[in-house]
Amino acid sequence: MQIYVCVKHVPDSAANIHILGNTQIDEKVAFLLNPYDEHAVTEAAVLKKTVPDSDIIAVCMGKKDAEKTIRSAMAMGADRGLVVETDAVCDSMTTARALHAAIVQDGSPDIIFTGKESIDSEGMQTLFRIGALFDFPVVTNAVSLEIKSGKAVVTCELAGGRTRTFQLALPCVLGAGRGLNTPNYPTFPDVVKARKKPIQTISLDSLGIPPGPGSAKIVALEPLIQKRRPKKILGTPAEQAKEIIRILQQDAKVIS
Amino acid sequence: MNKKYDAIIIGAGVIGTPIAFELCKMGYKTLNVDKLPDAGEGSTAGSCAIVRAHYSTEDGVALAYEGFKYWLDWENYLGNVTDEKGMAKYMNTGSILLKSEGHDWRKVQKNYDAVGVKYIEWDLDTIKKHVPPIDLHKFWPVRRPEDPKFFDEPTEMLEGAIFCPEGGYVNDPALSAHNIMRAAEAKGGEFMFNAEVVDIRSENGKVTGITLKDGTQIDAGIVVNVGGPHSFKINQMAEGVWEGCNIKTKSLRHEVMYCPSPEDYDYLNDGYHMSDGDIGCYVRPEVGNLFLIGSEDPDCDPQEWVDPDEFYAGKGGHGRDNVLTDEQWKAQCYRLGKRIPTLQVPNQPKGVVDLYDCSDDWIPVYDKSDLDGFYMAIGTSGNQYKNAPVVGRMMAELIDACEKGLDHDKEPFQYEFKYTKRTLNVGFFSRKREINYDSSFSVNG
Repeated sequence: MQIYVCVKHVPDSAANIHILGNTQIDEKVAFLLNPYDEHAVTEAAVLKKTVPDSDIIAVCMGKKDAEKTIRSAMAMGADRGLVVETDAVCDSMTTARALHAAIVQDGSPDIIFTGKESIDSEGMQTLFRIGALFDFPVVTNAVSLEIKSGKAVVTCELAGGRTRTFQLALPCVLGAGRGLNTPNYPTFPDVVKARKKPIQTISLDSLGIPPGPGSAKIVALEPLIQKRRPKKILGTPAEQAKEIIRILQQDAKVIS
Repeated sequence: MNKKYDAIIIGAGVIGTPIAFELCKMGYKTLNVDKLPDAGEGSTAGSCAIVRAHYSTEDGVALAYEGFKYWLDWENYLGNVTDEKGMAKYMNTGSILLKSEGHDWRKVQKNYDAVGVKYIEWDLDTIKKHVPPIDLHKFWPVRRPEDPKFFDEPTEMLEGAIFCPEGGYVNDPALSAHNIMRAAEAKGGEFMFNAEVVDIRSENGKVTGITLKDGTQIDAGIVVNVGGPHSFKINQMAEGVWEGCNIKTKSLRHEVMYCPSPEDYDYLNDGYHMSDGDIGCYVRPEVGNLFLIGSEDPDCDPQEWVDPDEFYAGKGGHGRDNVLTDEQWKAQCYRLGKRIPTLQVPNQPKGVVDLYDCSDDWIPVYDKSDLDGFYMAIGTSGNQYKNAPVVGRMMAELIDACEKGLDHDKEPFQYEFKYTKRTLNVGFFSRKREINYDSSFSVNG
């Protein structure tokens, strides 16, 4: 089986993000493997255990630095990596076309994993666009996967925690959700092994992808300024606990 | 009329609170002022709260070992005070010092013998029996993952370890300072929070009080600088104090990581505190079955000296602000990953970034100053948490002796340890000392 995992090199969500020139962030912060993609890579490695001759290829589009994210994916189980290198900030149409072209040039996918979204742009489009370019079925927020009789049986989580189970013909595109697995983080020996795995770098220009029929670009980025109104909760520990429960139920409405 | 106290202590961390507690017990009317909202919320909260005795100097070992006795007897030490937040707990895991080139362990062992610290020597089989997932290869010298040699296969083995059964850590360092605050209050001590000091007032070479940012003036004939990473700024506010110190302090950025323990190892309940100079790390268990991974500041790692106000405001950019860096996350976790090969390292860094109040020779300054009535307990360099209760008592006695006429600079105060009955020459911690080259010049002290 050829298993492709599309991964993204994203800023650490814990970083102090500063906006430069209204349309981009200051990239002098830590970048790492998109957290949803960790579930995608982990699931690919799980699948490989059931289909031993499989080849897991991590694919990433980004700047040269994106190679670090490919190394992370390889430490978590990918066998080799493909970097589509570009300094440009691409919309999901271009990204999907580039990833599609890189995969076609490389081989013949039986299954393509992605994360259900990237935590930086949160577009949730690229996986559907890849599916459309291949003409493969796509489901997202997958929380379980089983390959049965040459089909993928996938349960997806919908809004409110409901689930729906699909049977998909292979090849297909699956967007991994948090419920799919616990990421299998690498040990130091895994990191050592990943250093020896091959990465192929392709420039975006060399793929010669035709321009998309439309485009989307960021014209303004506004940071979220959180207004905090701290309030001291007084009383005995029991009274404080009661007040916290009241706030969570009535004000924040996060528990019933 | 300005409010008046016998002593104002600037800072309510784990060193400032016991100084107040001990001065109160001696009859002084004290006030602690702190710019943060509660006791222990500053760099104390970021402390790893390790309680171990291995130091590079005999006095350092003696002071730490005296400290053990306080932590082992925490409730009694605090006069069985109640704290509505609960009591900090001493987790007496025992402390492993791996014999390696990263520590002058022979000197430590000599100091242990001189002070009478209880310890057992462990061979490799014994270490393995106590720490099943450990790999005891020698990985020295400490390198960074950016260096290709970091990944070289080890060929030699370590020699063994020195195990100190009384060592361990305190489970909640901020809470421990809060506990001491409650004990000080029970003896009449007062605390003022959200109060930033902007001036130390003095007249005719004698301290007279402090001025807060909102203009409030508070008077006292004794002012003690326990400002942690802000200590050098506080010293600069007091006439002639900064200039009168041969040993200066500055704040050093430091990252500590939290990495999950391997699933088949209950590190939280079965683990030990361990100092591993061979990989430049120290570790202790943390809630959630995590490894807390600190760095022993190997020479290959960058040192970032920062302005504490800028740092805590999140300024300074990558590697200088209060956010963990991917580079240091990998350095510390992968170093431990060599020692614990089944340790799984997440991609996103998790941990604490805080500041050391670091002195020129990494040994603290516990002293008077060139301004009468102004004292300092500073330069704790990331390694004095464990000594806090002893330092509280020692500083209170030093202050009392100086106020009663002792010229500590000429005739250094001799502090008698309550438990171990040794006498410590407090002049060892003098601001006027020459740099102590016996120091490890690291967090090891």
